[in-house]
Amino acid sequence: MDSDDSVTDPNPHHPDPSLDAEPATVEQMGSLTLGEAGDAAGAERPVGNGFLPADFYAAAGEIEVVEEGSPVSGDLAGPSSLGGPGACRERSGRGDALPSPSSSGYAGERGSSGGSSEIEEADDRETMLDDWSRGKRHPDEDDGSVSWRKRKKHFFILSNSGKPIYSRYGDEHKLAGFSATLQAIISFVENSGDRLKFIRAGKHQVVFLVKVPIYLVCISCTEEPYEALKRQLELIYGQMLLILTKSVNRCFEKNPKYDMTPLLRGTDAVFSSLIHAFSWFVFSNPKPKALVIWNPATFLNAYTCLPLSYSTRQAASAILQDVADSGVLFALLMCKNKVVSLVGTQKASLHPDDMLLLSNFIMSSESFRTSESFSPICLPRYNPMVFLYAYVHFLDVDTYLTLLTTSSDSFYHLKDCRIRIETVLVKSNVLSEVQRSMLDGGLRVEDLPLESSLRSRSLTTPELSSSQSGIGGPSGLWHFMYRSIYLDQYVSSEFSSPISSSSQQKRLFRAYQRLYASMHDNGTGPHKTQFRRDEDFVLLCWITQDFELYAAFDPLSDKALAIKTCNRVCQWVRDLENEIFLFGASPFSW
Amino acid sequence: MASRRRMLLKVIILGDSGVGKTSLMNQYVNKKFSNQYKATIGADFLTKEVQIDDRLFTLQIWDTAGQERFQSLGVAFYRGADCCVLVYDVNVMKSFDNLNNWREEFLLQASPSDPENFPFIVLGNKIDIDGGNSRVVSEKKAKAWCASKGNIPYFETSAKEGLNVEAAFQCIAMNALKNEPEEDIYLPDTIDVAGGGRQLQRSSGCEC
Ligand SMILES: Nc1nc2c(ncn2[C@@H]2O[C@H](COP(=O)(O)OP(=O)(O)O)[C@@H](O)[C@H]2O)c(=O)[nH]1
Ligand SMILES: [Mg+2]
Repeated sequence: MDSDDSVTDPNPHHPDPSLDAEPATVEQMGSLTLGEAGDAAGAERPVGNGFLPADFYAAAGEIEVVEEGSPVSGDLAGPSSLGGPGACRERSGRGDALPSPSSSGYAGERGSSGGSSEIEEADDRETMLDDWSRGKRHPDEDDGSVSWRKRKKHFFILSNSGKPIYSRYGDEHKLAGFSATLQAIISFVENSGDRLKFIRAGKHQVVFLVKVPIYLVCISCTEEPYEALKRQLELIYGQMLLILTKSVNRCFEKNPKYDMTPLLRGTDAVFSSLIHAFSWFVFSNPKPKALVIWNPATFLNAYTCLPLSYSTRQAASAILQDVADSGVLFALLMCKNKVVSLVGTQKASLHPDDMLLLSNFIMSSESFRTSESFSPICLPRYNPMVFLYAYVHFLDVDTYLTLLTTSSDSFYHLKDCRIRIETVLVKSNVLSEVQRSMLDGGLRVEDLPLESSLRSRSLTTPELSSSQSGIGGPSGLWHFMYRSIYLDQYVSSEFSSPISSSSQQKRLFRAYQRLYASMHDNGTGPHKTQFRRDEDFVLLCWITQDFELYAAFDPLSDKALAIKTCNRVCQWVRDLENEIFLFGASPFSW
Repeated sequence: MASRRRMLLKVIILGDSGVGKTSLMNQYVNKKFSNQYKATIGADFLTKEVQIDDRLFTLQIWDTAGQERFQSLGVAFYRGADCCVLVYDVNVMKSFDNLNNWREEFLLQASPSDPENFPFIVLGNKIDIDGGNSRVVSEKKAKAWCASKGNIPYFETSAKEGLNVEAAFQCIAMNALKNEPEEDIYLPDTIDVAGGGRQLQRSSGCEC
């Protein structure tokens, strides 16, 4: 029987009816044709133009396709779809059998996936380890590989002619068929004047971001909210602009065939480290110690400072201001992803996203660490069209100075500036204070003052309090994040012992993400406070004109007590603001 | 080995329904042929790596359906194509007559920068049928048309027998090699901060 050109799936409960595929060929064929469960196989599709299920494009305006569990039957591909994350099915190139990927990987998968209608999910832990240390992402894989299909979260960048530009996993060229499929889906919806936002297919969410002539796609089964995934795509786009500027668009205008991949050569590590910052942890090499890198900046729209005494930060700012006055656009001193000081000329302010992307770029590019560097970079929020020049120098393993300028020939001037700055920083002990602060860590919920009378206590001389109890802070407080709206800065506490395990931290990160999304959801209006209790946490969120507070408590905590504790956290943060925030960097704070 | 960078080529296959587009692709990629006719719905995508001399190519082949109702995909499908393969059935005159429409449709939709020199190739398929006795379009006629359209390379193929299929697709990559653009210098703008912060200093941009 070799009749099938239809890719409809006759049996919605079997994910991959064609796993009996013959020995594989290396090539893949993707088919844009999308099946509805139950559609008779073999027949040409009768509906509409037969291209996508009718429901798919019926909606006017922006399409938010099919919520899970909704009655709409055309749920794209649905849980019954082939392992293929997302909406597109692939099909055998053999013209026989049922829809099937033609890769060798599949012969073996049948056994393991059995009759389950879900894609098996690989734990990303080990793969993260690989990724993180080498910046590689399994270049041997393609969309026919079992391992590729099992990955929890894919990111793609492609051009609007369907040519692959970047894929988190696998080889871009081998994924050419897959990226053509993505382009076809996006374009098809676009042609009808609509915009495709996301597709839900079983546990998978496919999120699209269109930045003509660039398309970005995330395929994820992490259950993160749409807004969170969209924001991650925005950041990936921003990271691309940081490396290339928006001038790439001109290349596509002149030549739609333009192949952008060579321009991004060597930047795999930059993207993979950014993507890791979206998630919750990686293991640091060589010790298998869990290193938490989840970076709330990826969804909070704010940056965070390294806690330092006011005078120490002032000393750093003063010398940075000095060089800024000599023609430096921004002078930025950071320790890992935390700001020590930031100074800008004129009224210019550095957007938190630009800081996030810049520090990610610097920290993930090995070459910056080995020598002083001078590199063109673009700050997409400052001006997406142009290159600035960044002079980067690591003062110690984690601490680096970045001087941004507009002139391409100021390397020697900036080098002189750096030498001056470094001398002052060493002399005034700023660098040693920075290292000490890194060791000390940030705010601990155990140190939350019990009485308002203890307010004047300084962060840098913590008294012995309840920290030895090992059960978190007072009233079951486990963790908090405080974001100052005017300062564009946040501070987040260290993880207390009840959330010391990486799985707890992952749950917390996801919970915050959901909380953030629901608090900022335009549809349901601006929330002032939210109190949630589930089996893992009591979560409290409080938003005012000045700040946003996110706090996590023991799930058994008392609501009234939790609210009281939140008040105390706010007071505590205000008491410490000179040490945990940077003043003067944002035009609003003067 | 491959000293220069890999090239990805977007290849569009066009032609009347039933002329054998999907079969040619299957023959080329999977070395398989089926007598059963199944209309392609929407579009199929397929990739195949080819090596020519020391260069590696990835052909991203777009097999579209011939039916009218799918033509709404137009621009989106044709955009950024590196080569267009026009297929007809040597036993069906109408499919040959339509080549002109397909070619024009393509040029209209894809609007390539240099339409005169855009790389097409033409395949006259199904030459195996009836030992060639039922053919209605002569090789001479086909070649004349190709010559009149700027010397389009022409191949007579049989997807069934696997005749000339490899050679035809090989030609696509060769063509692309000839048309390969110079490696461009990527040169975005910089700004002149003294002149008010965000003024653009137009550079020549990237020449591509
Ligand atoms: N004898 C013969 N039949 C062919 C050849 N190529 C395609 N066919 C048949 O022609 C029909 C249509 O082929 P198909 O590839 O689906 O055409 P498409 O609509 O252009 O994609 C099928 O029944 C094929 O088996 C060929 O070279 N020789
Ligand atoms: Mg076909």
